[in-house]
Amino acid sequence: MLAPVLIFVLAIALAPLIFSFSISLTDYRLTDPTQAKPFVGLGNYIKAFQDKAVLETLWNTVVFTIGAVTSQVVLGMALALLMAGETPFMRALRSVAILPLALPPLVVGLVWKALYNPQFGPVAYYLKQIGLSVDRGLLGDFNTAMAAVLLIDLWQWTPLLMIIFLAGIKSLPGEMLEAAYVDGANRLQAFFFVMLPMLLPVLFIGVLLRTMNAFKVFDIIFATTGGGPGNATSVLNFHIYKVGLTFFDMGYAAALANILLFMIGVCSAFYILLLRRQRAAESL
Amino acid sequence: MSLYQIRTLAASATAIALVLSACAAPAATPIAPATTAPAEPTAAPAPAEPASGIVTREYAGSKLTLASQTDQFIEAFRALIPKFEELSGIDVTLDELGYVDLRQKATADFVGKTANYDLITVDIVWSGEYGQNKWTVDLTPLIERDKAQLALDDILPVMWTLGKWGDGQWAYPLAGYANILNYRTDLFAEAGVSVPKTLTELQEVAAKLTQPEKNVWGIGLLGAKGPAVAQDFMAYVQQYGSSLLDKDGKPAIDTEANLKALEGFKALFNAAPPDATGWWWGDRNDAFSSGKIAMMLNWSTAIKNHKNPDLNPFADKIETAFSPLGAEAGKYGFGGWGIGINADSKNKEAAWMFIKWITSPEVQKEWVDNNGSPIRRSTLTDPELVKKYPWFPILLESFEKGDGDYRPREPWYSKMEDVIGSEVNAYLVGQIDAKTALANMQKAALDIIK
Amino acid sequence: MRTSRAEHVIRNLAAVLAVAFFLLPIVWLFSTSFKLQRDTFQLPPLWLGFEPTWNNFAFAINQIRVGQFVLNSVVISAGTTLASVVLGTLGGYAVARSRLRLMSASSYFFLVLLMIPPVAMLVPFYLIMRDLGLLGTYLAVIILDTVYNAPFVVWMMSNYFRSVSTEMEQAALVDGASHFQAFAQVALPLALPGLIASVLYCVIFSWNDFIFALLLTSPSTKTVPLAIMGQFSTAQLQWGYMAALSVFAVLPMLLLALALNRYFVQGLTAGATKG
Repeated sequence: MLAPVLIFVLAIALAPLIFSFSISLTDYRLTDPTQAKPFVGLGNYIKAFQDKAVLETLWNTVVFTIGAVTSQVVLGMALALLMAGETPFMRALRSVAILPLALPPLVVGLVWKALYNPQFGPVAYYLKQIGLSVDRGLLGDFNTAMAAVLLIDLWQWTPLLMIIFLAGIKSLPGEMLEAAYVDGANRLQAFFFVMLPMLLPVLFIGVLLRTMNAFKVFDIIFATTGGGPGNATSVLNFHIYKVGLTFFDMGYAAALANILLFMIGVCSAFYILLLRRQRAAESL
Repeated sequence: MSLYQIRTLAASATAIALVLSACAAPAATPIAPATTAPAEPTAAPAPAEPASGIVTREYAGSKLTLASQTDQFIEAFRALIPKFEELSGIDVTLDELGYVDLRQKATADFVGKTANYDLITVDIVWSGEYGQNKWTVDLTPLIERDKAQLALDDILPVMWTLGKWGDGQWAYPLAGYANILNYRTDLFAEAGVSVPKTLTELQEVAAKLTQPEKNVWGIGLLGAKGPAVAQDFMAYVQQYGSSLLDKDGKPAIDTEANLKALEGFKALFNAAPPDATGWWWGDRNDAFSSGKIAMMLNWSTAIKNHKNPDLNPFADKIETAFSPLGAEAGKYGFGGWGIGINADSKNKEAAWMFIKWITSPEVQKEWVDNNGSPIRRSTLTDPELVKKYPWFPILLESFEKGDGDYRPREPWYSKMEDVIGSEVNAYLVGQIDAKTALANMQKAALDIIK
Repeated sequence: MRTSRAEHVIRNLAAVLAVAFFLLPIVWLFSTSFKLQRDTFQLPPLWLGFEPTWNNFAFAINQIRVGQFVLNSVVISAGTTLASVVLGTLGGYAVARSRLRLMSASSYFFLVLLMIPPVAMLVPFYLIMRDLGLLGTYLAVIILDTVYNAPFVVWMMSNYFRSVSTEMEQAALVDGASHFQAFAQVALPLALPGLIASVLYCVIFSWNDFIFALLLTSPSTKTVPLAIMGQFSTAQLQWGYMAALSVFAVLPMLLLALALNRYFVQGLTAGATKG
């Protein structure tokens, strides 16, 4: 029964990837009237690592991913602990809190762009009220733009982590925590030494899902900064979009995409190994 | 399009035109024998105002898709397309796209040869790329064939730069924009300044008008990474009188003159709201209509909305003037949009009919009343319209002295614009200094322009 | 647990504040969609207490004709969801019940597929679809959306099937049922919550997709997010219009999320939470 999906996925996903690798070895420009595909070997890959713009976007991608995953995991865990109560009020609050993750990221970007607007936006207005200067706006200032974009991502995806962690917390045997308290542990100790180790599996899943998506961030950058100001928020996926789907420089874009794929692959392989060891330990 | 196709088209169209000119009420009977359109009931009334016999029902039942930039003229398309559909029996789908997605979707359509679009609005700066790749039809033979219908003398000469590249006309003039100065008379009076005529005066006046404590600033400029800052900077370079290319068309960006221009451009931002470094066209218009800026150099196309009290509360205090010029330049920035026919379109004649109709003298009045920008002398001098739109004489003169080439209409323009848009923005927000920005641009330009 | 009354109040207060953070941007969007242009940028911001108008919705419906884009979005997300859930559930079951080490390890392989950056797929996929003459069709978008959603369903459903007891299936097999019957009549009903979760995610992801639709749709198949982006241009921005258009993209997903909110975690954590 695996066959249909395996065939589908192999045919549709793997074929383009092989194709992608083969065009990454050529200087294939769709806008070239002759449609020539001169073979350049690893030329596109070498070019990428000499391209200042690419190196900057690589760095931004790493910063974005680490920033997004760390902040969202911490906040998601805090919210899960805060909102774990089973009162009707808490349940209602939880069902509202998850709404951001159902929204189109593009719309989320546009809404936040309006909220951040330094002249008219509510965020800027309230910041001014408490005496903070917002000259260029959080999205417009070279030093704060990345943080501002991270906040948008945090707004949208923290709820997902919250509910994943909540599911983990709910499945914990209550008596273990009680026992810890009886042993005189304070809450922080109980959390770090009793709860957290047991939550590792859900923590892995959360981190894995968010890492994969943070590497691929596109819509909110497209909707808010377009990679600016300067190149403060220019991430690799956005850069590839520009090279490949705006200037149709297919060979180079394919090479860049493969570099991104390699980065994501390495990161994920690491996570998955950890996850497997965890599972293996469980099934013993 | 092959020569053979052109000839066949031309032959059949000439035949049609002949029959047409003999036919007083063009809509009454289906003409060409080849047409498969269902015959109209004979009782149907002839549609009103057949524009010089341009519109026939020969292609009734066919479908056209128009990819249009959602600029001000989109309102005119929304209002006029139903009329064209009624007159011609052709079904026209309007696909409204933003500046970035229009370029992306249109290019994808061309290189994919999918012919999703029959008609495309073409920014003046795309002319070279479209022409070199022959993505759109060279309209020269069609213009020659139908010149009797087109009132060509009436179209201002500069308008032809909307789509001209090499020997071909790759788009037909649709909407002409002049770079002009909009300003607030009350703020000017309050600061005791008069309309700046030179760039030096512009700097001074902008500084005098700036009152940060009141959140009122001298000037609105576009600083957002991408086309916005690139185009405003190129306009500044042109007004300043320097150039990004040398006399042979080779990149000459890191020159002393351009350094001065770039520094001057940044200095002007001191008199603009601090967030202007992130502005796009819409942001500047928002700022002007909310009273945050006292003047703005921008395309003439936005004036009509700013004179509308519903959209701009300061409407009665807004005046229009010529854009200030540097010492050497004697020309005003010109831009705007042409409309082209996809080279892979299967409905080229129907598409051409639409172009002829939408740009015809008879339709121009409604075009400008619905926020379209004019291309014709007769429109700009029509006493009735001039009364309604008192800035038309300024437009006319700006067009007559207009320069459509300060942004090079070359095939490499879009890539160059991307580089300029990144580097100038990085300089404005303090990421790099002016010399680095120019050196980066020069290096990239040598790579792009071969 | 040792919770005092004071702590209870503080907890609720903190939770309300956190939820307000997640809710306010959505409230802003909805309130803006009912605002006249002059009210959209009033300071201090008008959250309530403005004169509401239907003009923005009239514009979206009559001028932009958002209805057809909603229909396109429905077709694409329905097609994607159907294909992904059918393929993914079958695959997920096979992975979960296989005794082969290689097979059970393959659930990670499906996870790896999710990591392929969309642009990496989009570039070659665009060329392939062009050569097949499928560019601009619903099918092109549905296929590519399914490439990303089906593996996710495999992963979720294999987790879920693993967490469901196999005793009843074994019993059915002993009674002479085929493997497919055991799957369809015994395992699937038990896995219903996971199935609903899969549908939920597939609908949300395909409805919200922007980048695939941006390149693969034609004017007659374009989706709501693209229509929204099309109004973001060089003319003056009418935030009321933008917000009204966005409501068409947002409201169906909000209602879905509210109705099915308890299913969001099913399958995601099924393997990791023992139960």
